[in-house]
Amino acid sequence: MSEELLSRSFTLHSHDFDRAGEISTEIKAMLKELGIDSQVIRRVVVVCFEAEMNVVMYADEGTLTFVLTDEDVGIEIADRGPGIGDLDRALEEGWSTATDEMREMGFGFGMGLPNIRRNSDSFDLRSEVGVGTTVTSRIRLDGLD
Amino acid sequence: MTEYAHGFLIREDDCAGCMACMRACPTDAIRVREGKARAINELCIDCGACLTTCSQGAILPTSRTLDEFGDYAFKVAVPSPVLFGQFPLEVRPEHIAHGLLAVGFDAVWDFGVDLRLSTLAIADYVDKWSGPRPVISITCPVVVRLLQVSYPKLLEQLIRMKPPREIAGSAVKRHYSLELGLPEEQIAAIYVAACQAKTVSIEQPAEGGRSALDGSVGIPQIYNSVLAAARDAAKQGEVRADFDPVRSASMVSWSTPRPLADLPRHHRYMSVTGLPNVIQVFDDVEKGRLKNIDYLECSACWAGCGNGNLTVDNVYLSQAKLQSLAKDLPSTDPITEAEVARRYPNEDFSIEHAPEPRTTVVVGDLRERVRRMQEAGRIESLLPGLDCGLCGAPSCRVMAHDVTSGHASKGDCVFLSKRRIDELRRLYLRKT
Repeated sequence: MSEELLSRSFTLHSHDFDRAGEISTEIKAMLKELGIDSQVIRRVVVVCFEAEMNVVMYADEGTLTFVLTDEDVGIEIADRGPGIGDLDRALEEGWSTATDEMREMGFGFGMGLPNIRRNSDSFDLRSEVGVGTTVTSRIRLDGLD
Repeated sequence: MTEYAHGFLIREDDCAGCMACMRACPTDAIRVREGKARAINELCIDCGACLTTCSQGAILPTSRTLDEFGDYAFKVAVPSPVLFGQFPLEVRPEHIAHGLLAVGFDAVWDFGVDLRLSTLAIADYVDKWSGPRPVISITCPVVVRLLQVSYPKLLEQLIRMKPPREIAGSAVKRHYSLELGLPEEQIAAIYVAACQAKTVSIEQPAEGGRSALDGSVGIPQIYNSVLAAARDAAKQGEVRADFDPVRSASMVSWSTPRPLADLPRHHRYMSVTGLPNVIQVFDDVEKGRLKNIDYLECSACWAGCGNGNLTVDNVYLSQAKLQSLAKDLPSTDPITEAEVARRYPNEDFSIEHAPEPRTTVVVGDLRERVRRMQEAGRIESLLPGLDCGLCGAPSCRVMAHDVTSGHASKGDCVFLSKRRIDELRRLYLRKT
């Protein structure tokens, strides 16, 4: 059984494009200070950033919970928002419901959730339409890709 | 652990302990102890912010004079393209080349050819690269060191190709060794540098091994004598240099902040200048953004190499001069192209080893490291958060970490200790 060493919780706000990405930067700094393998850090950063952007773009608000154990990094992003109707489609690369405005900002290419899954060692996506979505990702510290 | 060479010297006697350099340092590599600035070797990336900021003249570039290359039989100048924008407009590039010969160089290298070769090699590399994008340029030594210190994972995206100055260094040795029948060791390839970081990178290349260049001289060191000789040449119309060093706009574009003018159109390029901007862009690359950019050109100095810490002229003025020079020039020229066609198929531009991350020593197991980080967080919460620097560290955050690693004590904070105020009074008030 893995032992929890550290956990942090962050609140995410809808349409807060100015500050989007700050949480992944903070988590990166923390992991770097802890001397975590840089490949692992990069995967965590990508997962956090994509998840952050998903909440900022589509949801009303959300929470990102970061947990470090002696074996892995766990990231859970739970949002209150529209939810996802078709989970399988949401995981298809290139499928997106982004608006033109979001695309102009360089987002909404349908790579978010697939990217999170690709960078995770274990991945879970649950959603209820009209209620919200929860993404759970775990990334192992031993750096196995 | 590797001893890192740096291009700066803090002269303790002249240091007023004013903390300006400490506050300017982008990697938090300076502390002020006992009223004197000290650099932390592993963290310094040679950006030169401290050198530019110090008003006391206490931080000096460790540079060499041309006389120190006296042991070589033949000295060849490899001039940074920035050099050609440093002189009054009526002094043309060929006059500047003349000036270089007049101050003691035996030859001036036609560096425009190596720059053009580099551009072609970059385009080829980017076409063939199958790894993550963007590919990152290797030309600015500060950017390479920043990657080594702060973005180790992005080092794999650094182009594995010699920077142009190194390509020139090898070519200089080959060429003159053949032409003069001298062993390569007796030929000095000397870079005329616009920044101190290039000097350091020649002394200790980030990619390991030895530089093909033998050293460098800063532009300010030779400026006055070159100018005097170049002016004479301009007036009398007599030029010793047997070629025009700036024949195409391609060469000029290497010293301006715009992306290289002669890169192929199907590549998407982005050019970033200024260390804070480079840091921001690297943060984005790390988050998986900018994947649609093929090649990322980064320069630590605002507005590019023309703003290097060994330049003489105002960067905007020198750029205006280079642009007016480039205005009348073709994008490429036949002499350069012929030489490029001859050399390109026969030269290997790849570097054997990619620069490696600078390892920071990790102490203790993960549990212990988490505990220390939490302890640092706890100490930080006791500090005022004003980042006043009076403790001798650039921020309360850094101070908290220095305390946990045993390099400072909480009592160094003026808010927590009267002793510290007395100490600062003793150190600073007696000066007036």
